[in-house]
Amino acid sequence: MLYAPDTSPIDLPTFHSVISLPYTLTPGRCAGTFLAEMPNRRIVGSRFADGSVVCPAQDFSSLDGEEPEALVQAPETGTLTGFTRVGTDVIGLIRLDGCANEFPHRILADLPAIAVGMRVAARWSDDDKGTSILAIEGFVPAPDAPQGEVKPLVGPAEPLGVIPYAMALNYEHAYGPYYGRMFDEIREGGRVMGVRGSGGDDALLPPREIDDITHKRTGTWKACADTGTIRACSIINMEVYGQTRPVPYVYAEIVLDGASTRMIHMIDIDDLESAKKSIKPGTRVRAIWTKGERKGAVSDIERFEVIDA
Amino acid sequence: MGREVGIVGVGQTNHARRRTDVSQAGLVREAVDRALADARLSMDDIDTVVIASGPVLFAAVNQPEKWVVDAIGAQGKSVVRLTSGGGAGFAGALAGYYQVAGGYSDRTLVVAYDKLSEGQLQYSISTLYDPFWGREFAVGIMGFSAAYWRARMDVLGHTEEAAAMVAAKNRNNALANPYAHQKKAVTVEDVLKSKPLCWPIKLLDVPPISDGAAAIVLANDKVAHHSTSRPAWIRGIAYCCEADNAAERSLLLSEPLAIASRQVYRAAGITNPRRQFDVVEVQEPYSCFELNYYESLGLCPPGQAAELVASGATQLDGDIPVNPSGGCMGANPIGAVGVIRLIEAATQIMGRNETHQIKDAKMALVQSGGGWANLRGCAVLSA
Amino acid sequence: MGYSQVAVLASAQTQLRPAWNDAQHIDLISAVVGNVFKGTGLTLDDVDFVIDSGSDVLDGRSISNCGFLGALGAHHKEEARVEEDGLWAALYGVNKIRSGASSVGLIVAYSKPSESDVDLYWSSMVDPFYQRPVGFGQKAALGIQAQRYLAAHGITDRALADVVARRWAAAAANDKVAMGKAPDADAVLGSGEAALPLTNLMISRPVDGAVAVLLCDGDIARRSGRPPVYVTGMGTSLETHSFAARSVNRLDSVEKAAAMACGKAGWASGAAADVVEISGSSVIGELLTLEGLGLAAAGRGIDAAMDDKVNRSGGALPADPIMATGLVRLAEAAKQLAAPARAGLAGPAKALVHGTGGVAMQTNCAFTLEV
Repeated sequence: MLYAPDTSPIDLPTFHSVISLPYTLTPGRCAGTFLAEMPNRRIVGSRFADGSVVCPAQDFSSLDGEEPEALVQAPETGTLTGFTRVGTDVIGLIRLDGCANEFPHRILADLPAIAVGMRVAARWSDDDKGTSILAIEGFVPAPDAPQGEVKPLVGPAEPLGVIPYAMALNYEHAYGPYYGRMFDEIREGGRVMGVRGSGGDDALLPPREIDDITHKRTGTWKACADTGTIRACSIINMEVYGQTRPVPYVYAEIVLDGASTRMIHMIDIDDLESAKKSIKPGTRVRAIWTKGERKGAVSDIERFEVIDA
Repeated sequence: MGREVGIVGVGQTNHARRRTDVSQAGLVREAVDRALADARLSMDDIDTVVIASGPVLFAAVNQPEKWVVDAIGAQGKSVVRLTSGGGAGFAGALAGYYQVAGGYSDRTLVVAYDKLSEGQLQYSISTLYDPFWGREFAVGIMGFSAAYWRARMDVLGHTEEAAAMVAAKNRNNALANPYAHQKKAVTVEDVLKSKPLCWPIKLLDVPPISDGAAAIVLANDKVAHHSTSRPAWIRGIAYCCEADNAAERSLLLSEPLAIASRQVYRAAGITNPRRQFDVVEVQEPYSCFELNYYESLGLCPPGQAAELVASGATQLDGDIPVNPSGGCMGANPIGAVGVIRLIEAATQIMGRNETHQIKDAKMALVQSGGGWANLRGCAVLSA
Repeated sequence: MGYSQVAVLASAQTQLRPAWNDAQHIDLISAVVGNVFKGTGLTLDDVDFVIDSGSDVLDGRSISNCGFLGALGAHHKEEARVEEDGLWAALYGVNKIRSGASSVGLIVAYSKPSESDVDLYWSSMVDPFYQRPVGFGQKAALGIQAQRYLAAHGITDRALADVVARRWAAAAANDKVAMGKAPDADAVLGSGEAALPLTNLMISRPVDGAVAVLLCDGDIARRSGRPPVYVTGMGTSLETHSFAARSVNRLDSVEKAAAMACGKAGWASGAAADVVEISGSSVIGELLTLEGLGLAAAGRGIDAAMDDKVNRSGGALPADPIMATGLVRLAEAAKQLAAPARAGLAGPAKALVHGTGGVAMQTNCAFTLEV
């Protein structure tokens, strides 16, 4: 399959998936102080034993990992040492006056006005007055700016212990021929289909071309029942970020009739104590499909329920 | 063939629920400083570095070794990162072991960490699941882990009490651990009465969430003596896996751990683990797993872990103490745990364990693992 | 102390495509794992361990190796995930075989950047306090690196475009890379600005694909009936996270990695190689790499870049399966050594292989191969 020429210009759907998380990141003493000083409109650097000053402040030297001796206040002026444009943003490297290092930031000027070696000055943001490096909106050309000086940092703010952060990652996953067929069958027929393993009649769910265990080709397609047996289960009774169902409920690994591998799903319960007794490995269950139009996803099965003996 | 490899220096942070005074990189630095000082070395003496940490989503930094390198002063060196979920630290140590054994380096620093306070632990772990198939029902691996324990209860007749004994043992051992942060004496009864989170897993079966780092210096037989007269030699080490959704996957025994221990025991000359090991350190992300390990590592016959823990044999004063350090119950910076377990075992062999030195410990077993309990490894250390 | 010799026995690749939209990760992985044994006389049963490279961020799942173990052929074997280009996975595998602990290892690297936002892969790599908020990432770093290099060495855009066009032509001749008509220098110049002064085609093109390499000890290699291609040296070096603190117009880590590898192989420099496969994140990155490897003086990488021995496969510019690119280079170099006539070489040869990772090539790895 993978060696055939790509002759099929079929517009295949993808499976959209989002991973989105809040974080509380600790910047450490130096960066924490730098960020804490942003609302005070002071630029904090760190001074090392050899007298060199690095800005923005770093807990560890980029050159050798040494720790700084003191925090200092860096000037707001410096020199542009390199630049580029990405999209509409100009990103430059700036060496603040009296500092040994360079760092990246936005350059707020049109390209023809920008040259390596030019004098620049920080422009404080009118909008962002918070504890972000973007409280400095960027650097602007400042041809006449006098040479700034590094000064002692008088009365430094307490370093920030944590800063809130968010990361969101978006994916468009390919279904491939096997998941594509499986989810299409779920959507169109309300039917869970797998492929036979390399050495038996029971179906692998989810289906795939190569058997995980034998690394041999899997067999033909097979429809599984929407009834099955619990292989393993536990009772979820705690709330965690991102959960979509109210607790308590049962997390279940179910082997559908006709399959050999597990499907992960959930079972509604009334209460914890009765579920301990009524739902266990070996318990027979059936799928309860969602009402209305199916999407072609595992969630087309709303839940499983116990088949009364 | 290859070189002998020993652990010649160790260091770990004082683990905490949340460290707001250091960044992820600064946390790593603390462990590295301690390990280098312990090995009487500086970073200049280190040929290569292996960094290990858990999944990127734990702390929002992709390929974090590229940031951490500055904090440990390893710029310019051979640095690579291993990751393997819960077993990341152990996987890192294994990679470091082969760098030394294969002659790529004389001395390799392995440092492992996680700063779990920064992210959403269970949600991050839930993304282990296939986005098409089951992720929406995942509760980290706690739901899954509890399910496997339940299967053992049903098949073997094990009770919740057996795991509670593990939890109580480890929690009480951790009281004396200077690096642990979860220190509260508990009884078996306390564990049994604690809130069910993913039943049968209850609150006190679950280790804390921690920020922490741990580092070891590995050296070959040519240079080890510069650091210590008493290295903890690695006599065997392996880390095996199984496909997570295998039809025949055992819910009772960890086959990858059984396979790894078979390889390691052969290399180390272990024929009767129960008798030959003086001390064992295992990574128990939930108390129930320790029972599985007893059997998979051959410390007792299959199905008899509950009897083993009930007999008291794995207590501090038993014939095969397991987790005298307190294991994960004292602190659980997940990616670091594999290295922490190696440290606790190595210091037993070196005769200077700070929590509970087992008298005359000469042969130690270390276990670690991760994933859906399908990545499992072990190592044998001896004087 | 006797160490085992280690040889590259075989390799397999999927085609490298902008998007494998009809295949999942496991399809790409299991295809190369299944194919790598063909003609070797070995099977998966002979493999002692699997080491793989992939990225959780690109894959969209944590500990992604864990979900791909079956496809990787790793079930009930020792497995490790190196979250770096596959050349570092090979480095691990070579050490393991050299130690004598194992005799056959399978190295696998893959990615499907088409499924995710590649810019986020890069921006999530830089520090979250100072660099991410200002928009500093891979493109900005490569742009500044290029701006400085061009300013220092007076090289024209046209000369860079010639190098890029040459790489695409080479890739077009190598049926491993899916492409339309290979762009000529004008098309390279007209491909739109990526990061001034680099155009889009002057930066490596992310593609989907997988590669597997079978490593084995010397005994097994000699019994295989193929001319063994031995790994005779390896080195890697990681530079500071701070792009601005790195040497200007030099990749120190390439020099260090090459010095380690060549030192072990007993080569005076990388210039001893007659096959050179390198991974440049941009065309300037290629030039800096050639200089760091000792194939050209500072500022003269452009001369070496037009040498026939460099990137006969096309290199990373037309096809960069992030996390697999360096391992593809290893596979391509080993093939050229194993079948020198086919590669247009006169006889036994030496190869130098290069892989890279991180923003603006923060980390670099070099292998020497010899027949």
